[in-house]
Amino acid sequence: MVLGFLASQLLVGLSRAMILFIVSAGLTFVLGVLRVPNVFHGSLYMIGAFSAFSIATQLGHHPASVWVAFLTAPLVVALIGLAVERTLLTRLYQREHLMLILFTFGVTLVLNDLVKLAWGADYRSILPPPVLQGSAVLMGVPVPRYNLFLLAVGPLVALGMWLFTHRTRIGKLARAAAVDREMVALLGIDVNHVFAGAFLVGAYLAGLGGALVAPSTSITLGMDHTILIEAFLIVTTGGLGNIWGALLGALLFGLTQSLGVLIWPQFAIVFPYLATASVLLVRPRGLLRSVW
Amino acid sequence: MVKVRRPATSETLAGRTWPIGFLLILIPALLPAILPIFYTYLLALIFVMGLLAMSLNLVLGYGGIYQFHHAVFYGVGAYAVALSITRAGWPAPVAFLLAPLASGLTGLFIGWFCVRLTRLYFGMLQIALGSLLWVIVLRWYSITGGDNGIHDIPIPSFLRQILPAYYFILAVVVISLLVLYHIVRSPFGVTLQAIRDNAQRCQVVGVNVRLHQLVAITLAATFAGVAGALYVVLERSVFPSMLFWVLSLEVLVMCLLGGWYTFLGPMVGAAIVVTLRTTAGRYTENWTMILGILLILLVFFMPEGVLGFLGKLIARVALPQGRQQEFKRAESAQAEEKVIPGRSSHE
Amino acid sequence: MSDVRKSQILMVFLVGFIFSTTVVQAQMPRLVLDIKVGIVDTYSGPPAVFSNDALNGFKLALSDINKAGGVLGSRITFVTRDEKFSPETGLSMARELVLQEKVDLLVGTINSATALAISAYAREQKIPFIVWIAKSEVITGAKGHRYVFSTGENTAMAGKALAQFAASRPYRRWWIAGEDYEYGHAIADAFWRYMKQLKPEVTLAGQTWWKTGEPDLIPYLTAILSARPDAVFFGTGGAGMANVLKTMRAIGFAERVPTAIHTAIDYTALKPLGLNAPEGVMGTTDYLFYYPETSDNQSFVRAFQSAYGTPPGFPAFHGYITAYFIAEAFRRAGSLDRERFIHALEGLRVRTPVGMVEMRACDHQAVLPMFAGVTQKSPKFDFLVASNIVTFRGPQVMPTCAEIQHARGQ
Repeated sequence: MVLGFLASQLLVGLSRAMILFIVSAGLTFVLGVLRVPNVFHGSLYMIGAFSAFSIATQLGHHPASVWVAFLTAPLVVALIGLAVERTLLTRLYQREHLMLILFTFGVTLVLNDLVKLAWGADYRSILPPPVLQGSAVLMGVPVPRYNLFLLAVGPLVALGMWLFTHRTRIGKLARAAAVDREMVALLGIDVNHVFAGAFLVGAYLAGLGGALVAPSTSITLGMDHTILIEAFLIVTTGGLGNIWGALLGALLFGLTQSLGVLIWPQFAIVFPYLATASVLLVRPRGLLRSVW
Repeated sequence: MVKVRRPATSETLAGRTWPIGFLLILIPALLPAILPIFYTYLLALIFVMGLLAMSLNLVLGYGGIYQFHHAVFYGVGAYAVALSITRAGWPAPVAFLLAPLASGLTGLFIGWFCVRLTRLYFGMLQIALGSLLWVIVLRWYSITGGDNGIHDIPIPSFLRQILPAYYFILAVVVISLLVLYHIVRSPFGVTLQAIRDNAQRCQVVGVNVRLHQLVAITLAATFAGVAGALYVVLERSVFPSMLFWVLSLEVLVMCLLGGWYTFLGPMVGAAIVVTLRTTAGRYTENWTMILGILLILLVFFMPEGVLGFLGKLIARVALPQGRQQEFKRAESAQAEEKVIPGRSSHE
Repeated sequence: MSDVRKSQILMVFLVGFIFSTTVVQAQMPRLVLDIKVGIVDTYSGPPAVFSNDALNGFKLALSDINKAGGVLGSRITFVTRDEKFSPETGLSMARELVLQEKVDLLVGTINSATALAISAYAREQKIPFIVWIAKSEVITGAKGHRYVFSTGENTAMAGKALAQFAASRPYRRWWIAGEDYEYGHAIADAFWRYMKQLKPEVTLAGQTWWKTGEPDLIPYLTAILSARPDAVFFGTGGAGMANVLKTMRAIGFAERVPTAIHTAIDYTALKPLGLNAPEGVMGTTDYLFYYPETSDNQSFVRAFQSAYGTPPGFPAFHGYITAYFIAEAFRRAGSLDRERFIHALEGLRVRTPVGMVEMRACDHQAVLPMFAGVTQKSPKFDFLVASNIVTFRGPQVMPTCAEIQHARGQ
């Protein structure tokens, strides 16, 4: 029983880490390629969750409705991200980081009020797809099937990102631009193109994280807050711009959180912060190689 | 190469000539006579937030340090006053002196860890460490009152009316700004700005970069503590959200909005944000969207902040030909610097 | 004149002009002598769903009152301010309402911290302040005073009602869990305090607290299950409540261990989950739109439903009775004088959807009945409702006046 409980705690911590990883991967990719600390990444995540809710409820009780939401909601978010990038952000790449933070924070304020106008203040909720409802019993302890599903999705996203950055032309260019953008530009390649693609991917991942978290929590205004600061801590822990670093950081964050509950429940909240601080003190530029 | 970061006009705004400085004090001192009482209160609140933003700008604008969790020091100052009066029962003057001390020490402690890191890494470590303090304040119900905060703090009765509180705050803020101004102009301040512009070069010529940064952080934290104590004077309440990262972001926005290359810019930024927050709610529920649009426009059309922009505008209109040239040179030097962004020059 | 001086004067002129226009605009005199209520509450962010419900109830009552001619020959009007769940902002806005809008009294908020801060300000300004959603018992308890009132239930009342409901069942080893903020702890403390009074043999098997807004509660809930307590009490509300119910449903929590939560049977908590909320959860609330089935309640529900397209939740009920308390008190006071208003409000009884409700004179707390029950599906609704409803009258669940005086240190 105790062992089963530990295992379930671990599994749930890992599945939480997968959501964190997906969102952080998007953030760190944008940080790496575009050098933009995107403060409205959290808003994109929230829009992903609300869009998933709207799409799933529009399609009604069809068993595939939530799956459709998982596929389409991130696309909606990616398009919103692309629109902001093409119209505004693209003109600002030469600016200092603080100006970019100011700009993306301004977008956050606008997007969050737009979400309030579009969806209202009510709490929203959707269920997992029918096959993933209920829980499996692992060594006498219930673990929701949906969390097991998330455990599978996380590595798939990581694999997808690896394939994208190593096997596609635009992905390789993005990787190159992350290291040396002047060099890429000198080769006669339109860097703007690469940047737009990279931002699209980053926004897509934020939306995917939002859509995937929707069935396991209540969808509310303000859900962008927590994820934003967590994602920023994770990508810093992992090394800015490093996707594998984001994976490591997310695992560290998710596991310290869920194991902290076992050790010192009243102060479980401090463990992820402590972990981040300790990592940064030992490795001032994150766990893995950073392009920053 | 000498980098001219701050255009010549910002010096005039900082009060190079004494009549201007005198006016800057005289006008706020006379305003309560004609203002409705609520606006006197609002001005006092603006001074408190402005002092907080200006203390941040000492490290952000002059030091080029990514101080992302400045609110912690403000909150520590406010709680130092609140706790030493309500829990320890110490007299108010002691409590008010304790606030900057506690904040300064917190700044020294957090800064000591953070100065090993650079830019975003620095900022995120500060958020992680600052959040630990925030958790303590939020959790330690028996001492701090948890998320309810502490209310009705018995400060000396002569400060409980808005008018005396206003003049007290004005006096402390003016003194603090004079001290800050001297710090910025002192050899220390000049070195700090040199570190901001090129840390490597400073290192090579034998400047202890980290020590300078640590001192700057400690000083900034101390003034944030003063602002925290002044908040207690004005509102007689403290809340854990005063240590939350959201407020830090807001203060950062005040600096950038007002103009972080100028001395008084953060005060202007604070005035805009505080006024918008307390009065725009009268007309619309979506006032944060207005602020958002304002910020986006600002980044595009006046990246040097409101005060920086006004300074530039006035310089263009009012400066005689000779100084126009001089000003343009200063500006183009600044523009040149921006082509190769500050990103690569720091490390 | 030097260039420096010129530019400075231009600057000062510009800033002064902008500032003075806002001041002048704000100084327009009040034309009609209405009774003006200033409302500070959270109208954006997660709690807005409750604040808007309260405001709707208040508006519904006001339109009836004003249609019937208002009070003292005046209409009752209101202005709202969105504090965005920030007590600093809320406090500034309360000042603005009092000093600038010249409101006759203040009403608000869902945020206990803001309520306490404004309460302290109201005492200093000698202006009445009616709290309508915030549930901290210290508002009218230890920190209560002449100028603060509450028209909603508080943690002491809810905890005592739920303790009485649960004490009649055979559970002895309790586990207490909840969201780690003021409300979560306050409601848990109250529940446990009264539980031990009613049933001294109960023991505390353990406690779990998670941070507000924690999205994934499965680790916490499975940890509780593995400890096998007889029953569990959750101290949670709002969005956190929806999360707890959702997680309970996902791991079949309520089937494994009996569970008690204040507001678990409440419409605002159960509506977002539809038929997917867990059944068999013990809960309490001070208002149910389908119970009691009196004509007063039914006509309130009908009017609310036709105005806003949804049945009223408990905040709407609080907003509704707040308006009637205000109108009745002014009528009885016979003038807009604040002290006479307070005097009239003390001990005032008004007719409400749940029967006559008194504003207790000793602590300024509305004497509200509490309803307890167990969640269950119903053929009539597409969300869960309470079954086996037990009603506790106000005096059964409220601290006595002597206890209040003791808490205030008198």
